[in-house]
Amino acid sequence: MQYVIVGLGGQGILFSSKVLGQIALSRGERVLGSEVHGMAQRGGSVISHFKIGSYHSPLVRAGEADLLLAFEQGEGFRNLHFLRDGGMLVVNVHQKEALENERLRSYLDSRRIGVRAIEGYEILKKEMGGRFLFLNVLILGALSATVEGGVSYDEVKQAVAELSPERFRTENLKVLALGHEALQG
Amino acid sequence: MLSKRQILLGNEAIARGIVESGCAVATAYPGTPSSEILPAVAAYADELGTKTAVEWGINEKVAFEVAVAASFAGQRACAVMKQVGMNVAADGIMSVAQFDMAGGFLLVVADDPGPHSSQTEQDTRFFSMFAKLPCFDPSSAEEAKRMVFDAFDLSERHRIIAVLRPSVRVDHCRQDVELGDVLDVPNRAEFKKDPKRWVCLPAHVRLSHPRLNAKIDAIAEEFESAFDSYNYEVPASSKPKLAVIAGGVSFSIVMDILKAMGRTDVAVLKIGTPFPLPVRKVEDFIARHDNVLMLEETYPVMEMQLPDRTKIKGRWNGFVPRAGELLPEIIEGLLCRALGEERPSRSDEALKAALQELKVTPKPPALCPGCPHRASYFAIHKALPAAIHPSDIGCYTLGINQKMVDSVICMGASVSQGSGFFLAHHVDGKEQPVVSAIGDSTFFHMGVPGLINAVYNRHAFVLAILDNRLTAMTGGQSHPGIGEKLRKGDEGVAVDIVSLIKGCGVRHVEVIPAYDVTAGAQAVRKAWQFARENRTPSVVVFRHPCMLLRPRQDRISVTVDREKCVGCRYCITNFNCPGLVFDDEAGKARIDERFCVSCGVCRFVCPHGAIVAVGGEEA
Ligand SMILES: Cc1ncc(C[n+]2csc(CCOP(=O)(O)OP(=O)(O)O)c2C)c(N)n1
Ligand code: SF4
Ligand code: SF4
Repeated sequence: MQYVIVGLGGQGILFSSKVLGQIALSRGERVLGSEVHGMAQRGGSVISHFKIGSYHSPLVRAGEADLLLAFEQGEGFRNLHFLRDGGMLVVNVHQKEALENERLRSYLDSRRIGVRAIEGYEILKKEMGGRFLFLNVLILGALSATVEGGVSYDEVKQAVAELSPERFRTENLKVLALGHEALQG
Repeated sequence: MLSKRQILLGNEAIARGIVESGCAVATAYPGTPSSEILPAVAAYADELGTKTAVEWGINEKVAFEVAVAASFAGQRACAVMKQVGMNVAADGIMSVAQFDMAGGFLLVVADDPGPHSSQTEQDTRFFSMFAKLPCFDPSSAEEAKRMVFDAFDLSERHRIIAVLRPSVRVDHCRQDVELGDVLDVPNRAEFKKDPKRWVCLPAHVRLSHPRLNAKIDAIAEEFESAFDSYNYEVPASSKPKLAVIAGGVSFSIVMDILKAMGRTDVAVLKIGTPFPLPVRKVEDFIARHDNVLMLEETYPVMEMQLPDRTKIKGRWNGFVPRAGELLPEIIEGLLCRALGEERPSRSDEALKAALQELKVTPKPPALCPGCPHRASYFAIHKALPAAIHPSDIGCYTLGINQKMVDSVICMGASVSQGSGFFLAHHVDGKEQPVVSAIGDSTFFHMGVPGLINAVYNRHAFVLAILDNRLTAMTGGQSHPGIGEKLRKGDEGVAVDIVSLIKGCGVRHVEVIPAYDVTAGAQAVRKAWQFARENRTPSVVVFRHPCMLLRPRQDRISVTVDREKCVGCRYCITNFNCPGLVFDDEAGKARIDERFCVSCGVCRFVCPHGAIVAVGGEEA
């Protein structure tokens, strides 16, 4: 299973590969991933690669990713070439009209790419008083509600609980549930 | 302890190897992609209860010299830096390369092909060749950790510095790695005085250079046969159409691509010890194949060591691009081209068109919302709009988005460039305001000599020290101005930056809270006046903690008054906060609540008073 996780520096995308890693390790599977640290982290486009299974290189080749997890819709669209045909995009949207764009739709259809969108900022505004730092956990909740995501809600929940700092644990689990519910059914 | 596996960052795996190897003194200066190594050394040393001294050096030269002297005294020691840090430490490295070392010494230098976060794309394997030092080039985190042990061992047996050069994809990969116990090494501090050995007099070098050559020859022999776990062949299972020689992460990428393509007709030779190259091993492989592709990052270092390159498709003859990171997509293309096959087409023209329509572009890095540097730059701009702005390396290089960065060379050079810009105009009899900007960590690193030089030679310019109380760009490390140390219970002393500036001979210094742009602008004007009247450098220290420190500060929610905003874009051009965006449809600025952190500084930016606190201006 190969994941590509994209977003902007400061959105906390490193946490999601930690969670995926924790899950894979508890299943006894090998993991390999690649992260961005340094200059690019300052608000710019960032990308993490994450592979579960038997691989040598930490990088996902374009056209090979099973799942693209996007914290920001623009970054998600920009990196669609990483997905294999039939892959899945799980994306946080702040202007969901973009999903109706015809060219985008026809590209997605031609490559049989599925899309699951969550309006993360809206949910966090309504439920968490606009504390957007919870975005990363919210999106993990959305991922766990997506069959193609390859991880179950229980697995994610356990990993998030283990990896959360004490003072954020309760709220993180609450937000995780919000993300999961938003894309359930 | 039972062996156990844990998911580690490549840099953590290297750190774990350093501690398990019984390293007694470890130093570093931060620099992407190496920065996470030293803090992890400290954390493992705490966890495993070793006595290892773990310290940030003021710069790479000092860090190297501190650690290397510990190894003269018999201890295992290591210094860690990024590739350009090796330029700074080079003077010492070149000397000590020729020494007959006592304790094992490991030099970890992280490379950044791409580059992602560096001012050059230089290759440490090449530098190792220049210094005649053996170099290990890991292909994975797990291998990097193993190499640490072998590097210490090799260093001790041949009494030579050993170099480990992980590249960014190894440093920042995450992989499950096996943890072990601390080796019980016999090294103790017992310095044996021997001037022939420890003093680099020319007379001694006449003996030590030939000795170094002999060491490298002996190590080359070992690399031919004794390091098969780093240098090995992955044969093709059918008749090979192509043979690939690869090192570092390029090897790993090739292996994944071949597997995904289901290819059985490509033979691979992996080389983990690029200098000195096991030449016979490579030549034997080449002799057995007709079509040979060589993949290495970023210079043709292995290739250059081969007497006969005629068969090789590589960086030397331009078959492989002569610059840039070898990403999987690039390697895929090279493999197909070397095989003489069409690359499976993946046309993304339709996607490109959609992105254009949706106006989606990559987002370049920017200073964080609330970053004090943005406010400091704005104050400088207000004070002296016609000034020249030499700047330096750090988060504040991103002041380029505010058009406040005119030239950057390397760490510390903003100060010396201030001198140069002064002199260029001075010899023409012109007075040109110059405001150099430098971060606190960079000032300690290499800014101080430039400042003393400017005082001595009487150069009139303003030096703005952007003191955000840490080394931010590389993730928030301590430095001499902070005084914190890495190991638990190990306390340092903070060096007062203002006393230091005065001690350099500077006669005008002012410290300003960075968010106060009015006071900042006034201070810069005053400092420039003092500088030109007295023909001397003057200093303004802008102080406010970096957002990484999550400072406790007033939250001032702001909004753009749509009536007052005239749509001039002044705030976007000169202030450039991610929390402030231009609404093209409305033709007005607005706050993007996804990114605004309510620092309130932008209220002082709009010339039309359109950016205001929510609910009116407070008292
Ligand atoms: C010789 C060298 N060593 C290390 C680095 C990595 N590096 C880039 S900026 C920087 C320091 C930044 O700290 P500071 O000057 O305090 O500025 P800040 O990022 O905090 O704004 C470092 C260590 C480098 N570019 N060159
Ligand atoms: S990390 Fe600190 S110094 Fe760097 S941009 Fe953010 S606030 Fe500014
Ligand atoms: S208050 Fe203004 S300057 Fe501060 S973060 Fe928000 S938009 Fe940026």
